[in-house]
Amino acid sequence: MPVSDIAASDIVETVPSALIVLDRNLNITSANRAFYQTFRTSTAETEGCHIYALGNRQWDIPALRTLLESVIPHRASVEGFEVEHDFPTIGRRTMLVNARKIFRPGDHDGFILLAIEDVSEERAARKESNRNWLLTKSIVDTIRDPMVVLENDMTIVTANKAFLTIFGSTEAETHGRRVSELGQHQWDVPALRHLMEKVLPENKPIENFEIEDDFPSLGRRVFNLNARKISQPGNHAHRMLLVFEDITGRKQRERDAQTLTNEISHRIKNNLQIVIGLIAYEIKHTLPVCIPGLKAMQARIGAIAQLYDVISQSSRGRTVAVDSYLQEIAKTMSESLLGKQSGIGITVKAEPLEIDPDRAVPFGLLVNELTTNAIKHAFPDGTGHIVLSLEQIGDEIELVIADDGIGMRDKIVAKIPEKRGSDYVAIFVRQLGGTITTASSEGTGTIIKVRLPLLLAPSGGAEPLAA
Amino acid sequence: MAVILVVEDDVFIREIAEVMIQDWGHEILSASDVSEALLHLRSSHQIDALFTDIYLKTDVHGGCDLAQQAIALRPRLRVLYTTANCVTDKLQALFANGTQFLRKPYTEDQLKDSLDHMLAA
Repeated sequence: MPVSDIAASDIVETVPSALIVLDRNLNITSANRAFYQTFRTSTAETEGCHIYALGNRQWDIPALRTLLESVIPHRASVEGFEVEHDFPTIGRRTMLVNARKIFRPGDHDGFILLAIEDVSEERAARKESNRNWLLTKSIVDTIRDPMVVLENDMTIVTANKAFLTIFGSTEAETHGRRVSELGQHQWDVPALRHLMEKVLPENKPIENFEIEDDFPSLGRRVFNLNARKISQPGNHAHRMLLVFEDITGRKQRERDAQTLTNEISHRIKNNLQIVIGLIAYEIKHTLPVCIPGLKAMQARIGAIAQLYDVISQSSRGRTVAVDSYLQEIAKTMSESLLGKQSGIGITVKAEPLEIDPDRAVPFGLLVNELTTNAIKHAFPDGTGHIVLSLEQIGDEIELVIADDGIGMRDKIVAKIPEKRGSDYVAIFVRQLGGTITTASSEGTGTIIKVRLPLLLAPSGGAEPLAA
Repeated sequence: MAVILVVEDDVFIREIAEVMIQDWGHEILSASDVSEALLHLRSSHQIDALFTDIYLKTDVHGGCDLAQQAIALRPRLRVLYTTANCVTDKLQALFANGTQFLRKPYTEDQLKDSLDHMLAA
């Protein structure tokens, strides 16, 4: 059925807005079903009644009087006229009134059609939202870190006082602009833009995105950027909170500490180079029988020096990551003892465990001695495989150095002088408070297991335990 | 045998290295910093290889800068760096192409292996 065939009265009865028709004297000539339902009244009580007299004069509202007596006479229609009033029957309400003059042919006085929409809930929600926003803004303003709130389209809704003060900007200069457009485009970093684009649609926060740059009137600064999606209950719109943490001081302290560490490490290794040089000088003038011992001493001093590098590269704050520590030891030993053409391979299988730096050196030297012994004596034909493994077993840590070489019996017969190395192993094991067992037979390789008390903490766990 | 320019600011370390290198039959030239080394490199003296420390006196990457200048002056020169610093990727990026590196502290055997490898390359 075409829309034109539908009776106007049917349409009037089905629209959700309350409709009433007034004559020139403001008497109600008719009203629709929505009006009666909204204002809990009836046809008998309504039709013919003067608008102001309706329902114990609850429509005698100054704002409505203004509309009907001062505005309508001069205009054909009025839209969005808001009336807030305490209605005796339905309580306090906010009504949005649209008014239109209607003329019938031959009738010069005309009628007034009033469409009344109850927008109380919407207005209350808006007020609540504004209240929350003001509260949020006042909290945000008290936070010392600069921060901005962004809309879906990445434009700034608000910047807190710290942001405006620190970056020397005004609300007008920031509002509605993108972060990448601010200042001298310091924040216009492709990687940051990419991350920011994911915060709202994917609810993916930005964690500690570091930017170092020269800022006008601030100088060289390092900022950590963190971003989160923020939502308001009952509101489908989402915004992004972007916080700028100035970590320049902390970064400088870290750099100073790193420079100092590097300087000390540099001096230690240069001094160890002098010690190795002194031993080299002795080697030139000593009896041939003493030379292997002195060279072994040089190698151990070299191992200690290399461990400093390994520890600094495997360090996670106050602890050393044993898994990457073992990897580094294996890599260093492969480079220094085996070389690229070697047929001997070293594999590491280690659980993610951590060790306190005090024990890292004896631990590293223990691994160094045992692995060196395997490299030197297990593979007379120059091919084989060594596996370094580390796992937590109950209250203990088990370090295993396993090779698939000729076995211990042949090794002991062939290399008696190496007993000195075994002595060092015993000392390191005692220093770490552990025990050592060896399983080996001719042709089946050697497996050395070192059990250490739980001086290692699981990765990301508690502080390392003291032995 | 080769002529090797040894650049090291620590006198003791340099002299021990020079004694070792001479024992293996090579001729050595000696310098303690970049400017002394450049005097040798700009001379007409034959130089086959440069063995240089990286941290030279106050110049943190002096050895790297020296190697670049040395290769510009003598394109066929072989280079072996050494340092007591931690060798990071950032530092390695400063090494000239085709050069070698020896970590400090090094033993006599390690130095010999590195020099032999460099001279054979």
